[in-house]
Amino acid sequence: MRRIGIWIAAGGLLLATAACGGGSGNGSAGTGGTPKAQSLSVGFVAEPANLDFTSTEGAAIPQALLVNVYEGLVKLDQNGEIVPLLAEKWDVSPDRKTYTFTLRENVKFSGGAPFTADDVTFSLDRVKSDWKLKIKSQLDVIDKVEKKDDSTAVVTLKRPSNGFLYSMATRLGAMFSRTGVADLANKPVGTGPYVLSSWRRGDSIQLAANPSYWGTKPPLGAITLKYFKDATAMNNALLTGGIDVISSVQAPESLQQFADPGRFETVEGTTNGEVVLSMNNGRPPFDDKAVRQAVRHAIDHKALLDTAWAGRGQLIGSMTAPTDPWYEDRTGDYPYDPAKAKQLLGGKTYNVKMRIPNLPYAVNSAQVVKSQLAQVGINAEIEPLEFPARWLDQVFTKGDYDLSIINHVEPRDMGIFADKSYYFRYDNPEFGKLLAAADEGTEQEQTDDLKQAAKLLSDDAAADWLFLFPNLIVAKKGVTGLPKNAIAESFDFTALAKQ
Amino acid sequence: MILYLLKRLAVLLASTAVAAVAVFAFMAVLPGDPAEIALGVNATPDAVAELRKQFGTDRPAVAQFLDWAGGLLQGDFGTSYVTSSPIGPQIGDRLGVTLVLVLGGMVVALVLAVPLGTFAAVRHRDPLGAAISAASQLGIAIPAFLAGILLVFVFAVQAQALPSGGYVPIAESPGEWLRSLLLPWLSLGLVQGAVLTRYVRSAVLDVMREDYLRTARAKGRGSTGALWRHGLRNASIPVVTVLGLQLATLLIGAVVVERVFVIPGLGDLLLNGVAGRDLLLVQGVVMVLVAAVLLINFVVDVTYHLLDPRLR
Amino acid sequence: MSRRTSAKANRGRMNAGLLAGGALVALVVLTALVSFFWTPHDPTLVDAAGKLREPGGGYLLGADKFGRDTFSQLMVGARTTLYVGVVAVGIAAALGVPLGMAAGMTPRGWLSELIMRVNDLVFAFPALLLAVMLGAVYGAGTLTAMIAIGVATVPAFARVARAATLQVMVTDYILAARAAGRRRGAIALRHVLPNIGSMLIVQASVSFAIAILAEAALSFLGFGTRPPTPSWGRMLQESQELLFSTPRLALWPGIAIALAVLGFNLLGDGLRDFLDPKLRRIRAER
Repeated sequence: MRRIGIWIAAGGLLLATAACGGGSGNGSAGTGGTPKAQSLSVGFVAEPANLDFTSTEGAAIPQALLVNVYEGLVKLDQNGEIVPLLAEKWDVSPDRKTYTFTLRENVKFSGGAPFTADDVTFSLDRVKSDWKLKIKSQLDVIDKVEKKDDSTAVVTLKRPSNGFLYSMATRLGAMFSRTGVADLANKPVGTGPYVLSSWRRGDSIQLAANPSYWGTKPPLGAITLKYFKDATAMNNALLTGGIDVISSVQAPESLQQFADPGRFETVEGTTNGEVVLSMNNGRPPFDDKAVRQAVRHAIDHKALLDTAWAGRGQLIGSMTAPTDPWYEDRTGDYPYDPAKAKQLLGGKTYNVKMRIPNLPYAVNSAQVVKSQLAQVGINAEIEPLEFPARWLDQVFTKGDYDLSIINHVEPRDMGIFADKSYYFRYDNPEFGKLLAAADEGTEQEQTDDLKQAAKLLSDDAAADWLFLFPNLIVAKKGVTGLPKNAIAESFDFTALAKQ
Repeated sequence: MILYLLKRLAVLLASTAVAAVAVFAFMAVLPGDPAEIALGVNATPDAVAELRKQFGTDRPAVAQFLDWAGGLLQGDFGTSYVTSSPIGPQIGDRLGVTLVLVLGGMVVALVLAVPLGTFAAVRHRDPLGAAISAASQLGIAIPAFLAGILLVFVFAVQAQALPSGGYVPIAESPGEWLRSLLLPWLSLGLVQGAVLTRYVRSAVLDVMREDYLRTARAKGRGSTGALWRHGLRNASIPVVTVLGLQLATLLIGAVVVERVFVIPGLGDLLLNGVAGRDLLLVQGVVMVLVAAVLLINFVVDVTYHLLDPRLR
Repeated sequence: MSRRTSAKANRGRMNAGLLAGGALVALVVLTALVSFFWTPHDPTLVDAAGKLREPGGGYLLGADKFGRDTFSQLMVGARTTLYVGVVAVGIAAALGVPLGMAAGMTPRGWLSELIMRVNDLVFAFPALLLAVMLGAVYGAGTLTAMIAIGVATVPAFARVARAATLQVMVTDYILAARAAGRRRGAIALRHVLPNIGSMLIVQASVSFAIAILAEAALSFLGFGTRPPTPSWGRMLQESQELLFSTPRLALWPGIAIALAVLGFNLLGDGLRDFLDPKLRRIRAER
């Protein structure tokens, strides 16, 4: 009988606390208060190890901080156009080698220091001197950065470059305060609409509206970025009101849980993220073009997308996204044809290592790839590595892999194939020439050259492109200002609001 | 008794020291130089050498160990190579969360197991007693994370009565703190309670066969009364041992429940550290976990001696 | 007298548990053995057309989101489970039993003290912690999981072996053997080991159950068996996102784990009472 008593007691406790706590929420319930005091919490997948995107690789830091905390002279809008941000306007010289940026007045860093042309020269010089990322080479084209007066900065390029201004819209163009770089890992100082208010490691980052922001004040007073390692836990949090937005659905099969339009809203758009089946071009067996081509023929991309990512996303066929002006559907280059694949392999069988990050899309895709490659005689052993560190170390840095699967999220990132030290170990001088010509040429020439470059990559089977990662956002009904397409590096909170 | 205490204390200190050496040695063989990892792909050899100097990883292993161990004695776990923030406070925060989680779970387990196990023993010939035994067998066989997932499904997603996860510090809101911990406590407590129930049952059964209880019964006293007066103390000895063992394994074992309920505990910090190659952090967390288990063992042994008159 | 009758009654009742446990374990072993020769379908073959196939038509329990046959996966999963259990318990017994016996045969020596202190130290590294640490060095996988679980189980075997050896050492025939000048090694092999064997079998059975749970937890955390090799723990983990729409995918591996653990626990308990009811009273004393 004692047993029954305990159960009642335990049940009573549950009900009592459920009742008293119901609805108070963690601020996200948004009861009362002025609209200014409103806050939202947004669920993310990967928590940054630190907040310094000048020295730490990975997408998590710019996703949280760029545009929101740090601003550049320009930014990318939802259509992929470059629009003014800290620069009111810019003039390009006729030889396209000199950019004169006119800076906005009355801009202050969150530390209180005014933003001037000195900060522009400081920030851009710092990319060369202090940054530790591979992508910093994108700004190697800069010859010098000069201050003309407090509100005018002049950037001189070594040669004309179409990519320069675009790079300035990424994290590379973020403006730092001369007095605010002492502890980038923990204390970001920027000019953006939000400032870091607290960071509970392993749990969440809190951003608060910047009271001295120069531009339109953001509709929300605070935003909580809540980090989940487990897709199901994130889903449950939205289902039970723990968060208001899932920034990127990690378990697309579960979307039907959010089918009720009275409660939830699903945004499905596109990203820059090419999910690449990387092949190590630098060592056997994938230094052999025929073997790489066989892989591309062996994979049934439609089946892969349907099983691995619930059919969400888009088949692409090369290293460009549909939002790029030079995008062409290249899925027809290597149609699914196991017989052709076997023929290309010449009856040989191979044992290879597929070292993937332990992320849902990679683990799912790898199992499909393995099964399909097995049909043509390639036995791929899957080895999941902890992401980011272990994968970065083994695959990205050391290039010790045969096959890998990773979502390359950086925008307009075809150029990584031009770097033969990059982990693809792809080396085709012709590709490099096309890219260089594209960067220097007119807009039309750029588009033509890059179309050709994408075709070359595909023909060479430099890698296989499994699918374009979808931008899948689920939010509570009433949340507005969600970005339909995730084509920049940041998750732009500036328009986020709640009705 | 004092002699025993002193001897046992010496063993504790020696074991902890050996453990520190073992943990340090293990981390030293981990592939990957912290400086190289921190600097990434394009680092120049000079920069790596300079950072090594800054980290202090260019010195001989013995010097590094002494430095680390000396820091530990003063509660200083060093500064993370990856996050460049001090490690000690992080471990402190996380340990606090995990302790609350595990201790709460153990309370739930005890509240379930002591009455149920005793009942199952006293009435071990009844169908009800047998049913409790069977239920506890089944409870042991269910993985803790599965119990957690099911509890979330029922109480959070379906009933919308409790949060599905997340942790709210008590300072922020005591009510929310309690709500955020109820399901995690329950999922740890149910599974551990099932294990404990069996030990309580078997301990009480053993005690019931002891002569003094049968004497009491023969004298006409109710067996329950005699059990209460004489038996529980003896029955508690094996139960305390098991409790200690459970506590020791749960400090890290709770990580699955932390994962299910998105609770920033010590196990979660360890997994993050491993994934982020934050070696010094991993070293610190492992050391804390190991030292905690050694300490728990010490307490259990001493309690054992206090409870068991034969050992005094 | 009443003690004897109660023990007898106990023995009779526990036989039911022994039978049930034996049957469950036999079922798992048989399934694993059969899976070497035959499964209804290839358990790792991805079949987009058969995605989330309902049970029936040659697919007894349906298929998962990759179109893989759940029943075949469960069969091969039994193999993974046993594999992990056998190797882990094997490691634990191979290291723990000799150490425990050595400690038990020299109860007052420094060797015994040293062994038991090291034992306590190893105990401070639970299976999960070891698996995470080993995984960090050598990568996660079945082998690291098995070694971690095995090493973490060594102290349990050493304690049981020591406690049982202590009991056996005071029996007349051991005293006689020692008086006759037999060497220690011979005594250990000929006299001690056979007499503590039943205790060790019981311990092995219980450890097996714990190993199964540990493997499931490790797979859940991503430190267990690598995909696509079927493992019950990973099946459970992979089916989480479909818990709402297709609960059967989580149900079957969940039931499989529970039944296997239940089987080994019942078998262990049953054996304990069957082999010698008095053994219940010997505890791993420290």
